[in-house]
Amino acid sequence: MVAAALEPFLKGDTGRNTRGLLRLIILCTIAGAAVASRLFSVIRFESIIHEFDPWFNFRATKYLVQNGFYSFWDWFDDKDVLDNGDRWRLMHRELGTWHPLGRVTGGTLYPGLMVTSGIIYHILRLLSMPVDIRNICVLLAPGFSGLTAFASYLITSEMTTSPSAGLLAAAFMGITPGYISRSVAGSYDNEAIAIFLLVFTFYLWIKAVKNGSAMWGALTALFYGYMVSAWGGYVFITNLLPLHAFVLICMGRYSPRLYVSYSTWFALGTLASMQIPFVGFLPIRSSEHMSALGVFGLVQLVAFVEFVRQQVPNKQFQTLLRGLILVIFAVSMGALVLLTVSGVIAPWSGRFYSLWDTGYAKIHIPIIASVSEHQPTAWPAFFFDLNLMIWLFPAGVYMCFQQLKDEHVFVVIYAVLASYFAGVMVRLMLTLTPVVCIAAALALSSILDTYLVADNPTPKEARPNGQATGDVVKNAADYIKDSLRSTRNPVLGIYSYISKASVVGAVTTYLLLFVLHCTWVTSNAYSSPSVVLASKLPDGSQHIIDDYREAYYWLRQNTAEKAKIMSWWDYGYQIGGMADRPTLVDNNTWNNTHIATVGKAMSSREEVSYPILRQHDVDYVLIVFGGLLGYSGDDINKFLWMVRISEGIWPEEINERNYFTARGEYRVDDEATPTMRNSLMYKMSYYNYNALFPAGQAQDRVRGSKLPAEGPQLSTMEEAFTSENWIIRIYKVKDLDNVGRDHTSAVAFDKGNKKKKTAKRRGARVLRVE
Amino acid sequence: MKCSGLLALALLPLLCLGAQKASGGRFEEFHARSQSSAPLRLDDASYDQITAAPRNHSVVVLLTALEARFGCQLCRDFQPEWDLLGNSWAKGDRNGESRILLGTLDFAEGKETFRKLMLQTAPIMLLFPPTSGQNAKPDGQPVRFDFTAGPQSAESVVGWITRHLPEGPKPAIQRPLNYFRIITITTTLLGIVTFISVAYPYILPVIQNRNLWAAISLITILLFTSGHMFNHIRKVPYVAGDGKGGISYFAGGFSNQFGMETQIVAAMYGTLSFATIALALKVPRMSDPKKQQLAVFVWGGIMLGMYSFLLSVFRIKNGGYPFHLPPF
Repeated sequence: MVAAALEPFLKGDTGRNTRGLLRLIILCTIAGAAVASRLFSVIRFESIIHEFDPWFNFRATKYLVQNGFYSFWDWFDDKDVLDNGDRWRLMHRELGTWHPLGRVTGGTLYPGLMVTSGIIYHILRLLSMPVDIRNICVLLAPGFSGLTAFASYLITSEMTTSPSAGLLAAAFMGITPGYISRSVAGSYDNEAIAIFLLVFTFYLWIKAVKNGSAMWGALTALFYGYMVSAWGGYVFITNLLPLHAFVLICMGRYSPRLYVSYSTWFALGTLASMQIPFVGFLPIRSSEHMSALGVFGLVQLVAFVEFVRQQVPNKQFQTLLRGLILVIFAVSMGALVLLTVSGVIAPWSGRFYSLWDTGYAKIHIPIIASVSEHQPTAWPAFFFDLNLMIWLFPAGVYMCFQQLKDEHVFVVIYAVLASYFAGVMVRLMLTLTPVVCIAAALALSSILDTYLVADNPTPKEARPNGQATGDVVKNAADYIKDSLRSTRNPVLGIYSYISKASVVGAVTTYLLLFVLHCTWVTSNAYSSPSVVLASKLPDGSQHIIDDYREAYYWLRQNTAEKAKIMSWWDYGYQIGGMADRPTLVDNNTWNNTHIATVGKAMSSREEVSYPILRQHDVDYVLIVFGGLLGYSGDDINKFLWMVRISEGIWPEEINERNYFTARGEYRVDDEATPTMRNSLMYKMSYYNYNALFPAGQAQDRVRGSKLPAEGPQLSTMEEAFTSENWIIRIYKVKDLDNVGRDHTSAVAFDKGNKKKKTAKRRGARVLRVE
Repeated sequence: MKCSGLLALALLPLLCLGAQKASGGRFEEFHARSQSSAPLRLDDASYDQITAAPRNHSVVVLLTALEARFGCQLCRDFQPEWDLLGNSWAKGDRNGESRILLGTLDFAEGKETFRKLMLQTAPIMLLFPPTSGQNAKPDGQPVRFDFTAGPQSAESVVGWITRHLPEGPKPAIQRPLNYFRIITITTTLLGIVTFISVAYPYILPVIQNRNLWAAISLITILLFTSGHMFNHIRKVPYVAGDGKGGISYFAGGFSNQFGMETQIVAAMYGTLSFATIALALKVPRMSDPKKQQLAVFVWGGIMLGMYSFLLSVFRIKNGGYPFHLPPF
């Protein structure tokens, strides 16, 4: 009855329109779900910028909308007056970071994100919708995730004729935790728009290679340029597209289509990328970009040889030409190596180099190794972020080998490379996620297309009227001689309803479980702003811990505007953004030595630290202490990295071994080493802490240890502020003593100790120096 | 313990002070000896002689235990670097401008010294700064280098010495050309080229075989997604005991894993992928309805069981994970 009524809608032109409309509705729903699942933090807390880096981006965006687009651009591009370094120095003088150096190079600043939100802001203003810039920044990432879902629909639809694959890929992309981790509301970071641009650029590239069209190639270049302006990860595209072209040439699949699309993309894309001030001439000067240049040369060579070959169809001559390609290719490779060795071409930058030589960062750049998202990925993280897609992924890649057209080669290369990168660095899970979604959708849709067919085949009869995938697979099996082992026989279909029902039922269960998993992960792991913490009270109600903002606003209200704050670099952007005070170091880790100086000040004795603090005009020192609350991301837990980083610069003065007990344990209690207990960080963390507890009962809830009965004494600084839950502690650095005494004796004098005792203490100190 | 060691060291020069001849000739004598065999092989007597204060030269002594019965792997690993350093310096500093002497004291020849210094471990490197002249330190106490960070390269030792004796020339380290390696690499390369050019017609079908490439890609992907790179970088143990005499296959904690654990996980992923491939590609190509029915149940069952097991394993890793599937 219903089927009969629906009949006219499912056939012919109307049928196509109906399906198109349905697809559109489904895609819109997916985009809606993608946005909605990223709003946990807004609903639970408030519309707030998260974490660390987003605070800097937010600040730059505010500058953009307050001073207008041209002013923002001039701020970047004022070449007549100042050279590059001075410009940045000026900008960061204004922002007050990296005191007293100023920041010389842009480091991580790619303007794409700020310009995007600026444009959205102005469009909304034009439509008479005065939305606060903060809300645009907070909601930018969820908004773009909807677009990413759409882009993955497009790219997956290029891979297969099955209409369901694209929709599945869109749904996967929309809710997979691997992508949500970096795109929840408030996570206003470069990745927020970069993943959309990544997927969409790949889609345009596939389109260009398929059609051999200069238009698609130019569009690829355009979006590649946008991507370059948005994220440093553009290097992934810069290397993946040439690799794809190279592999196609090696497989003997060179075609004029490839020539047109690659040349268009490379020429326009390189020009576009050079428009970004921070990238500048890197595309022709650094090793990361050399593969694109090399393959561009190769494509020209191959094209020339192909052309000559068509004119001169002599077999010997063709061999000669092929040899010519090899020789020229080898010679130019040699020239590249020579240029790199001689220093004309910059070698791989440390961050990228450490992807290949995995031990490199740990030895040479501890600052990179210290970031938690640069750690290698253990297997639970893969499963946590991708759930059932992690095992559908290899199956999907296998199915790409079935037809192995140009676009399938792309997926295979992307899959292998991205899984390597994701294995080396947790953060690069983000670049793996799109290809996992595509491959998983290919695998799952081929199951669903096979098992969700109403009519059964008649046994012993190969019937060609299967579903779409069936046809293609059969044709592929027929026409491609060297096909896969498992697809040699023709497709027949599934005979019994029981098989169909059981498989479809199982798959549906898995998918529902996937949705539950994604929601659970997003809600529990990825929706904390980390500026505001939440905890559950015994009665189950939610309790908000707002120490960070409490402390930053204290700084804003109670300190001089030019007061310099020293903290570990993690908190630099937040102090700049929320407290509006100059900092010594921040999350843009461009100057290792300066960070090591801060590390040294934190990990040395007061007598050593005080001159460092004075030399850097430090007025306040801010530390994070989780001992009272059991907040494990505090500075004592990060302390060893400070030690390691400063040991890299001053190996004679700081020694990591001294912070461990004789048995190699990292302790804060009675058994802590003297070096540990005399370090400024230890003293600042536990200063006055035992006053909270009955005598001798002081307890550190993070390290789970009982603290020494006598708390540490501070003489060169005084406690200025401690937040409600003791998470943030701020100390004021004392001025020089009025009568010229050193601080230790001044404190001793104030306490009424006699001079004799001070002398004794000093004697003991000399022994320790040794 | 460490303090008493230092104390003994401090007293040591005083003990041998009496037995010294004029220190002017001492450096020249030892330096001349080091030209023929560097670094100097010391014994108890020459050790006392070379390090006696006052001295106008610096001494770097490696206290080591090379004999096999001590089983000191670190000593043997470091020895080639130390010899290289000694040879480079002997060649680069024929006139003794650096005024640094390098010496090796093996436990077999210097038991007395080891006992005096109260050393329990080897290797240890001691640097005796001069008591007069360049880089002089008034107390003349040796600086000690423990090999806590594993075997060092000759360059890093030079860096350490330079930090303590900043003045004076330091000859560059000259690593000998490894002819054997160059020959090996050239031969191998030529061999490969020859092999490829001869066997090209036979290799070509193998290279162009799609099944082979599919297998390679899938294995690589499975390897990487099951955390192989983590094992490689962190050098995790293969398995660990559970403290009750058994083996614990799965490490506790979300960002921690064992070598065998990743292999189990890779096998699970592989089985699940294979079940998916079978259901999607193989089963619809079966011509016998009965067999097909059976295959669907078998593969579906394997998939369900494996996925459920995977979830249960994941619950070990992540305590609060709330989801599970029936069998496990």
